[in-house]
Amino acid sequence: MSAPVLQVDGLVKHFPILGGLLQRRVGEVRAVDGVSFAIAKGETLGLVGESGCGKSTIGKTVLKLIEPTAGRILLGGEDVTKLKPGAMWQHRRHIQTIFQDPYSSMNPRLAAGTIVGEPLENYGITRGGETSERVAQLFQRVGLRPDAMRKYAHEFSGGQRQRLGIAKALSVNPELIVADEPVSALDVSVQAQVLNLLIDLQEEYGLAYLFISHDLAVMRHISHRIAVMYLGRIVELATKRTLFTQPLHPYTEALLSAATAPDPRRRRTRKRIVQGDVPSPARPPPGCHFHTRCPYAIAECKVTAPPLIEVAPGHHVACLRRPVGGGPQPLSVSG
Amino acid sequence: MSAILEVRDLHTQFDTLDGVVRAVDGVSFDVARGETLGIVGESGCGKSVTALSILRLIPPETGRIAQGSIRFEGTELTALGEEEMKGLRGHRISMIFQEPMTSLNPVLTVGTQIAENVVRHMGVPWSAARERAREMLDLVRIADARRRLDEYPHQLSGGMRQRVMIAMALSCDPQVLIADEPTTALDVTIQAQILDLMIELKEKTGTAIVLITHDLGVVAETTERVVVMYAGRKVEEAPVEALFDNPLHPYTRGLMRAIPRLDVEADAAGTRPRLQEIPGLVPILTRPIVGCAFAARCELATDRCRATPPPFVDAGGGHTVACWEVTL
Repeated sequence: MSAPVLQVDGLVKHFPILGGLLQRRVGEVRAVDGVSFAIAKGETLGLVGESGCGKSTIGKTVLKLIEPTAGRILLGGEDVTKLKPGAMWQHRRHIQTIFQDPYSSMNPRLAAGTIVGEPLENYGITRGGETSERVAQLFQRVGLRPDAMRKYAHEFSGGQRQRLGIAKALSVNPELIVADEPVSALDVSVQAQVLNLLIDLQEEYGLAYLFISHDLAVMRHISHRIAVMYLGRIVELATKRTLFTQPLHPYTEALLSAATAPDPRRRRTRKRIVQGDVPSPARPPPGCHFHTRCPYAIAECKVTAPPLIEVAPGHHVACLRRPVGGGPQPLSVSG
Repeated sequence: MSAILEVRDLHTQFDTLDGVVRAVDGVSFDVARGETLGIVGESGCGKSVTALSILRLIPPETGRIAQGSIRFEGTELTALGEEEMKGLRGHRISMIFQEPMTSLNPVLTVGTQIAENVVRHMGVPWSAARERAREMLDLVRIADARRRLDEYPHQLSGGMRQRVMIAMALSCDPQVLIADEPTTALDVTIQAQILDLMIELKEKTGTAIVLITHDLGVVAETTERVVVMYAGRKVEEAPVEALFDNPLHPYTRGLMRAIPRLDVEADAAGTRPRLQEIPGLVPILTRPIVGCAFAARCELATDRCRATPPPFVDAGGGHTVACWEVTL
């Protein structure tokens, strides 16, 4: 097997909290706290979690838009962790990004065709007329009319702008696309169009996606494997099917039980298993971060941070109450 | 059940540089005492403007209720003066919005804000109003309510702020609570708690809820009856089970097929069934819509659909749909 498109080992990102008159470092936000995963060619890995769990920080760190505090990032087997921006530039061609709000990343004074063509010219892939031809192809591929190349970003609807963002990301033939909440701002009917397009493009070009979202239903639709994050750590990592049929971590179970479904009969059968708010990532609870909200927590959970262990092939979980071979049977609430 | 709120042929319009926007274009519905009515639709369908119209919060510089009637307990709201409306808002009809931070005053404590509303509408002394505020915080399950009374909105988490908004909205025992996307800005586990709380309080207080949302999951799990809106018009209305079991309007059907599902049996790893897309875009509301507003995106549309707006067809059991081509 060839090297994974992206491999992340023990990634840590702490943001300093400055305070006092002299703006000294008075603490830190542990946004990402020792995260490891790999993405194969043509695969979608979903990162799911609630606000402040660190999922977007992972996206930005992988893109090297921010420097990691510790850990390693490998693109196609090559360590890019320490690369300076100049040296990173060549790698950026292989790793592109799609944002929640593509409009904020587009120059309002440039025509859409120019926006999409810019990376092609920057990397010297095409020039002049060749670029226009390639851009016209890209427009068609993502479902925009080629005559829209002359329009400006503000003239497009939300869904069309996301198509534009996808065309721009695709232009340099990347291997990996980091998609951070790409459909969260879109209406349901348009969201379906964009999700279908992303899946089609993946199958056509063998793209890998790091797909970041808080929406479990979207995640279940697009991902092959899913990592569930809570306060900077991965608490469970499994194939989509395993995660949705045999969730092992209590937080995964909580997320699944909290998600609403378009079925009026389900509300009577559901049980909600967590209460309270997510603690601040600046002051995460000791031990297992989830123990303050976990109905199954035991004394040990307050002290020991559980490692992420492979309990079944491809199924990793970080929970002291889920030993290897512990299986999917329900946990009992401790006294 | 008798209707507490009756909206009839409501037209709300805004003046823009591109012309008059018909944000709400002839919408009628009833809210029964103590029920939860959902109004669902995508951006720009007029669901929030409907709510603002009921509360008479359409900014007069740019917009107006151009036509129609809104009756609350028999009183015609469209004819009331601003002072009389102020007496109703936050008292008999109250509201919560998506982002509580924009509706809470950042420089007043939570307790002061709730108590102010109580003093204003109930005419009780300040000490009694503060006691009421504490009771309300207890009711919405804010732990350590007495201490929280003296905190400012920024000291609370997003979920807690929404609880405070609910406490404030319910502090004067309203007959109707209008909730516009109350959980959209919240995380999944917090959203679940707030929805559960709203249902529980509705059962406890008998307040009718008008829940406005784009989220079909939220509608399914919290409402009893649903109005589906598209391009400023009501296209379907039904009891919640009937709507999800047997959606009749092509738009409602399209919406149901377009959402990724969490609750269906998980498929084998790797297979990803295509979501059904609704082709095209919503119509531009500055141009008059001839015929059915959905016709341009509808696979069933005929010339009649494009020429004449469809009448409401009664499918029985309180299920009505505005479609020429529907087969019952």
